[in-house]
Amino acid sequence: MRVTPVSRLSIWLDQHWRSAYGSYVEMRRRPLATMMTLLVIGITLALPASLLSLLKISQSMTDDQQQSASISLFLKNGIVNEKALRVAADLELLPQIDHVELLTSADAMDEFRSHSGFGDALDALDDNPLPNVLLIHLLTDNGSMDIKKLASELKQESVTDSIEYDQGWIERMQAITQAIRRAVQALGFGLGLAVMLIIGNTIRLEIMNRREEIEVTRLVGGSDDFIRRPFLYIGLIYGLFGALIAWLLVSILLMLVSGPLGRLAELYDTTISLSTFSLQALLLLIPIGISFGLAGAWLAVSRHLSSIDPE
Amino acid sequence: MIHFENVSKRFPGGHYGVSNITLEIESGALAFITGHSGAGKSTLLRLIALLERPTRGQLLIDGRNIGRLQENEVAAHRRKIGLIFQDHRLLSDRSVFDNVALPLHVRGFPVREVGKRVRASLDKVGLLKKEKVLPITLSGGEQQRVGIARAIVSRPPILLADEPTGNLDPELSHEIMKLFIAFNQLGITTLIASHDLDLIKKLDRPVINLQQGELT
Repeated sequence: MRVTPVSRLSIWLDQHWRSAYGSYVEMRRRPLATMMTLLVIGITLALPASLLSLLKISQSMTDDQQQSASISLFLKNGIVNEKALRVAADLELLPQIDHVELLTSADAMDEFRSHSGFGDALDALDDNPLPNVLLIHLLTDNGSMDIKKLASELKQESVTDSIEYDQGWIERMQAITQAIRRAVQALGFGLGLAVMLIIGNTIRLEIMNRREEIEVTRLVGGSDDFIRRPFLYIGLIYGLFGALIAWLLVSILLMLVSGPLGRLAELYDTTISLSTFSLQALLLLIPIGISFGLAGAWLAVSRHLSSIDPE
Repeated sequence: MIHFENVSKRFPGGHYGVSNITLEIESGALAFITGHSGAGKSTLLRLIALLERPTRGQLLIDGRNIGRLQENEVAAHRRKIGLIFQDHRLLSDRSVFDNVALPLHVRGFPVREVGKRVRASLDKVGLLKKEKVLPITLSGGEQQRVGIARAIVSRPPILLADEPTGNLDPELSHEIMKLFIAFNQLGITTLIASHDLDLIKKLDRPVINLQQGELT
C-alpha cells in the first residue's frame, strides 16, 4: 500500500469517521439508556445556563437604564420658561451632559392628568402647583461618582429648588446581579463537573461492556489511539447532544418567561430580544458540553483502558 | 527471524512458563511445538506476540530485542503477527466479514482495499459465502477458519497458532493443518502449538518439544 500525504489524510478521516459513526451506532443500540443519560446531562447543563440567561437579561435591562441616566432639576417657582431655557442651554455646555430637556409645569400637568386619573381633582385647583423641571441627560460613559458630584454642584445653582436622581437602585441592582452571577458561575462549575462524572461513568460501563472487543483489538495490533477513539467520540456525542437538550430546555424556559419579561421591559422602557439570549446560550453550551464530554471520556478511558490486557 | 537466547518466563509466584530456551526459527519455516499441557507451548507463543514479556534472556525478532519494546510499540509489533487461538476469539456481535476486517481497520486500510482483502482471505479458507453471518451460527471448524482468515488477512510475516485444532475431529484438523501448510508455502513463518502427535507425525515437519518449560 503506497502512502502519500493525501491518502494518509483520507485514511485518518476515514478512521475517525468510522469511530464516530460506530459510537453513534453503539449508542443507538440502547436508545432508552442513551436517552436517559442525555436527559440527565441536558438538565444538569440547563440549570446554570438558564440562570445565566436570566441574569444576562436583567443585566441588559439595567444597562439600558444606566445609559439613560439622568438628573431631574426642579426649578424654583417663578422662573419663567425663557429663563429656564437659558439655564438649560448653559448646562448643555458642561462636558458630562449630553442634552437637557425642559419639562414645563404645563407639560407636567398634562402628563400627570393623563396618567394619574386625578383629572377632575386637578381641575379643582386654581393654579398649577407643579414646578418647571429640567431633565438633564448625562453622557453614558460617566462614572457614578461624577453623577453625585454634578448633582451636588447643580444643587448650588440659584435657580435650583431641588435635585433628584435615582442612580442608587441601579447600583444596588448591579451589585446583586454581580453576586448572583458569581454564585451561578460556581454552580455552573460544580454542575459541569457533575456532567463530566456522569459521562465518565457512562463510558466506564461502555468500556466494561466492550471488554472482549478491546482485548481482541489489542490482539490484532490495535494501538491505544485506535482503541481510545470510539470512547472519546461517545463522550463528545454525549456532550454535544446533552448541550443541545440543555439549549432546548433553556429556550423553552425563555419562552415561558417571555410574556412577563416583556411587560417588565416595557416598564423599564426597554425591549429585550429573547432569541439573542437563546443564541448566546447555544454558543456557550455547545463548546462547554463538548469539552466536558471529552474530558469525562478521557478520564474514564485513561483510567480503565489500561486495565484491559488480552489474556 | 525468531531467535530465543536463554529466554525464561517466570510468573509471579515463582512458577516458570518456559525456562532457559535457546532456539532459532528461520524466516519462512514451519514448526510444531509439542508437549503436555502446561509444558510451556502457549507461553512460548505468547512471548513472541508480546502477550508476555520474558523475565530473562533475549528474544529477537527481525533482529530487535522485543523484551525491551515500550508499551506504545507493542501494537506495532503485534501487527507483524497473525494470532490463532483454540477458542477462536471472534467477536460474537459482529459478522464474519467485520471480524476478519478488524486487523485491516486497525492498520488504517481504505474501505475498498478492506473489502477486497477480506474476501480474498475468506475465499482462501473456503468461507466466502458466509461473510454476512454471525460467527455463532457457524460450526467449530468454520469458526476456526474465520479465525485463520482474520490472522492472514493483513499478510503478516509471522503466524502463530495455539492449539488450532484442539476442539476439532481428526478430519477437520487435517484440513486446518493443510491450510497452514499452504500459507507457509507463501513464505509466512508459521509456529503451531499442538498436542495432536499423530497428526504432526503425518505432516513431517520440524518439531519443538517442550517439557516443563524446557526444550528436550
